[in-house]
Amino acid sequence: MEQTPPVVTVRFNRFLPYWAVLQTDLRQTLRGWTYRLWVLVTVLAAGGFLLYRVGVHNEAGMFRSAAAQSGDLFRLVVVGSLALVVVLSVSAVGAERGTVADSVLSRGISRHQYFLAKWHARLVVVVSTFTALAIGVLVASYFLFKSDAESDLSAGGGLMAVVAVAAALAVIVSWGVTIGALTNGTVLGITVFWLVLYGAGFLLTFLPEPWPSPDRYLARLRFVLMGQYNVAGLTNLVVGSAALSALAAAVGVVGFARRDV
Amino acid sequence: MADDATELVVETQHLTKIYQNRQIALNDATITVEPGSVLGLLGPNGAGKTTFLRLILGLHRPTAGWAKVFGRVMTPNAADLRRRIGYIPTNPQFPKGMTPITYLDYIARLFGLPADVRKPKLATLIRAVDLLQHSGDSIAHFSAGMTARLAVAASLLNDPDLLIWDEPTHGLDIEARRSMLELIKTLAAEKTLILSSHNLTDVDEVCNHAAVLNKGQLIFTGSLQDLKGRIRRNHYEIDLDGEQKAITKCVAALRNLPDFKQVLLRQRRLEVKMTDDAANAPLLAQMFQVLADAKVLVISVRTVGMQTEQAYLDLVEREESRGFARLYKDEAA
Repeated sequence: MEQTPPVVTVRFNRFLPYWAVLQTDLRQTLRGWTYRLWVLVTVLAAGGFLLYRVGVHNEAGMFRSAAAQSGDLFRLVVVGSLALVVVLSVSAVGAERGTVADSVLSRGISRHQYFLAKWHARLVVVVSTFTALAIGVLVASYFLFKSDAESDLSAGGGLMAVVAVAAALAVIVSWGVTIGALTNGTVLGITVFWLVLYGAGFLLTFLPEPWPSPDRYLARLRFVLMGQYNVAGLTNLVVGSAALSALAAAVGVVGFARRDV
Repeated sequence: MADDATELVVETQHLTKIYQNRQIALNDATITVEPGSVLGLLGPNGAGKTTFLRLILGLHRPTAGWAKVFGRVMTPNAADLRRRIGYIPTNPQFPKGMTPITYLDYIARLFGLPADVRKPKLATLIRAVDLLQHSGDSIAHFSAGMTARLAVAASLLNDPDLLIWDEPTHGLDIEARRSMLELIKTLAAEKTLILSSHNLTDVDEVCNHAAVLNKGQLIFTGSLQDLKGRIRRNHYEIDLDGEQKAITKCVAALRNLPDFKQVLLRQRRLEVKMTDDAANAPLLAQMFQVLADAKVLVISVRTVGMQTEQAYLDLVEREESRGFARLYKDEAA
């Protein structure tokens, strides 16, 4: 009697495409020159700044509180990082358009999954790298200015400062990825986002106190580092950032599914 | 193959793509691809071939009209439809720092294939496309032939029902091109293929259906035989051997026969054009009888202009000459 061959049914894993893009993007971002440049420049700038302050403190005997110095360093790191964080986030989707995006999006992955994987990958890279760098800066500050820091830097305040800045960076990354997905050219997207961020930040410094100003918020970091922070205010910041990030992602998911690649 | 034997693999209706209100890449293309077809997509540069393929894949969204694949409208989020398609772009690009193993694993994961399915499959394909020795090398250092073989493996990973290959022989040397054509012939036995190609000889060899695009307009769709049937017929070249005097005598005799429009002799090559509508077999029999009577030997007989290339050129030329009459599409069909 003739036997029919058994029918092999492949059970597709619906989330595997998402994981594949997420993992590949994480790996490739960490290997990319933009990421390495960001980390290298940040480490060198922070190291140089700290050594300079140590020199001023120890040799010239000019005392400045550790919280104030760490606050300045935080501001330096954030403002300096912004340029490369924008490049990292806008290029997430934009840089693959017209090159490898064809090979990826012509397979069994939806635009939604692709965008979410890219967004999550860049979010993880930027936020975790910044957190690691910021904690490194705080620990270094603590040990270098230990005698002064004892009454100045607070662990809880440091953690809150890192969380606050990371939340703000998450918003920037989210909108960056969305802008990259919705603009036709990566260079155009980066330029537009730089202009918007730096331009808005600059213009907001001229507005009076009730208006939000990134510069004022960054200047206040020294008080947060000392432990003088308002939990409700920080919670609002984190919740607001999460909401803005989610909004950016929603715009990106919907917009990217309507675009040609 | 498609679930239903009668289900069309690809169906487009009034498919139109206008880029940013500046460039009409594809205009009102209506086409159907049946299961088991090997469709050759022909057209000059900028004709809209790649745009057409990208619309079918959901990489682009149509400005008007629709494209159905396996009976469902293709959209950018139709991942389940694309799981049944194997695609090779014109110049395949690969993520940096990958080897054939990591790349194929990545592509298989993009199809959602679990590890117990994808690992054996990718190993088999790497062996099949003869990249076993280079399976750990960086793709960045691969030659065009190796890249093409890797792209073929990637397009077959999901065991697709439909293969869409955009200029698969582009940039390949003679040996690699031959292998690719043989592979296409093998795959054609069990899959539906859409091939875009500049090389009409390739299309002639492997395709059984053709679609011709010119400046975004679909000017022909049908079987390859239909395409060839549109061109001038009854044009032959015969290489002869024998005494020159006898050959010259044959030429004179043929010129006197009815339905022989043109009889030219160049050295020992005879070029014969007969009336288009005349049945060719009796006329050829008459010609061979004249040659046999004069004891002239026939070395070879060739049809002139019956190749796809001639048919394609005639079509494009005719389309160009139609002017505003293009508005009436039925006349072109």
